[in-house]
Amino acid sequence: MFNLLRMDLYRVRRSKSVYICFGILLAATVSFFGLLWLMAMPKGQELAIRIGMLTAEEAAESASILKGVDSLVMFRQTCLDGGMYSATFGVWVMLFVCADFQSGFIKNIMALYQNRWYYVGSKIMTAGIVNFCYLILHLLFTLLVNRLFGNMVPYADLGDYVFYMSWAWFVTTAFAVLVILLCVLTRSTAAGAIGVVLLGSGAVVMPLYRILDMFHIGSWLKHSIYLTLAMGPGEYTAWKDLHVYAVGAGFLILYTVVTGIVLRRQDI
Amino acid sequence: MPAAGECRKGEKEAVRTGRENTFAIETAALTKMYRNKAAVKNVDLKVREGEIYGFIGRNGAGKSTTLKMLCGLASPTGGEIQLFGKPVSDPAVRRRLGVLIEAAGLYPHMTARQNMVMKARCMGLTDEGSVDEILRLTGLRDTGRKKVKQFSMGMKQRLGVALALLGNPDMLILDEPLNGLDPEGIRELRQLVLKLHEEGKTVLISSHILGELSKISTNYGIIKDGELIEQITRDELEERCQDYFQIQVQDVRRAFALVQEAFPEVQAEVSDSGSIRLYGVKDGAELNQMLMENQIAVYASGFHRMDLEEYFLDRMEGGRQYV
Repeated sequence: MFNLLRMDLYRVRRSKSVYICFGILLAATVSFFGLLWLMAMPKGQELAIRIGMLTAEEAAESASILKGVDSLVMFRQTCLDGGMYSATFGVWVMLFVCADFQSGFIKNIMALYQNRWYYVGSKIMTAGIVNFCYLILHLLFTLLVNRLFGNMVPYADLGDYVFYMSWAWFVTTAFAVLVILLCVLTRSTAAGAIGVVLLGSGAVVMPLYRILDMFHIGSWLKHSIYLTLAMGPGEYTAWKDLHVYAVGAGFLILYTVVTGIVLRRQDI
Repeated sequence: MPAAGECRKGEKEAVRTGRENTFAIETAALTKMYRNKAAVKNVDLKVREGEIYGFIGRNGAGKSTTLKMLCGLASPTGGEIQLFGKPVSDPAVRRRLGVLIEAAGLYPHMTARQNMVMKARCMGLTDEGSVDEILRLTGLRDTGRKKVKQFSMGMKQRLGVALALLGNPDMLILDEPLNGLDPEGIRELRQLVLKLHEEGKTVLISSHILGELSKISTNYGIIKDGELIEQITRDELEERCQDYFQIQVQDVRRAFALVQEAFPEVQAEVSDSGSIRLYGVKDGAELNQMLMENQIAVYASGFHRMDLEEYFLDRMEGGRQYV
């Protein structure tokens, strides 16, 4: 399995998609900060009023928009809570896994590895490593942009960063495994892309949540990947906050097992 | 006391004989069903070590499905596969296989060398020197930074063969490796396969270019509608590809009857609407004369030798009755 991981990491370093997807996240962060600077910072508001983007009344109202917001909340709001991170990272995972099937290189791999779990394991580890790098670098970039925009929001506690990043990594890695399952099932970039965008952006979960909520059973979906990412705790206050790890681990195991079974049953 | 040279020769012969008695591939009642349709039915394929086994069949006959099962890419519905005497699931056995199934599986945005390094890492090879050596052997060393998506079909096939050769496998399974190759590429691949055969490797190769296959194969297997209808050696094939005398006549029915009456020892068959094939004819002129005396116009006549293609087509028509 570690040979497969070495192979995957070699390809990750040489694939453009990993850099393009990360670039999209960074661009979104810069845009978000730019917009907030125009709305909430005095110099930005001046510019916004001058170009007709805001009226003086609107500028006065939006001045308090960043009240109680720290850099961790900003980081979450930028991409993670709305599902943009999941969708973008999911698209990369989809491109990475589907490339094996669409190029036919999977035949070279499976001719060597009868045990299909090795393949699933290596893909999950690769997704986990890239996810870790994405999250950490994205957070560092967010802090840097915050500084460049004149420290719009204060830093959060280090412990809060660690707590949030660890469970977010867990849950987004579980989402990556769901994407791997989609790719193994469909073996199609088009189908995979549609699936990733629908699942990552909450376009499936949110309507379902509303429908189920009419029967007072919607709360179960609060433990879905999308809603956990959107509503999960930003800081550790009590042991019940740890349920996010259970959500991540549960989905990670569930999707890994299903992916392995699907791959074992299918011919290449 | 025998000389040292004779001893070595004897040992070599013993090793060769030993190898020939062991099977590189042995399947028993190998079957693959897709829903209720059998793609491969009870195939008992036997390939001895050191053979070049030509696997022949029409499109959809079950060749690729059989080869996929041998490589572990498809699960058999029934039957058994043994490679070098061990089950196909044995990881050690799979390392002795080099495979090229259908189109070469390549990452289009990577170079030839990067694709090779990928496979090398997948196999756990640490020495990248073998990558360059195989690229040289397959004529791809000078492709440099050119991406695979810019390769011609032939170059992709050669890279597919190069990937199969990584790790110095004992057996190569090549499914249509000649596809897309130009005549020079075909000749180079033929020479490569023969060289590998000389090194003692077993090769199982399927191709529709039967002329090429007949130049290299030591054994043949013919598959039809999922059934292996024949397995023969090159010598047996040559024996069966007997000479025949073919005549093209105006009135096939009358000519056929006349030949059967005048030459009862000759076996005759109508090959198409205007031709008759005659097996066992010794004197063609005598036969022509007899037909002309009976006012049958003979447009063409001559002796022919059946090649692999004709033999294959003949078997396809006849099917199991020839087994």
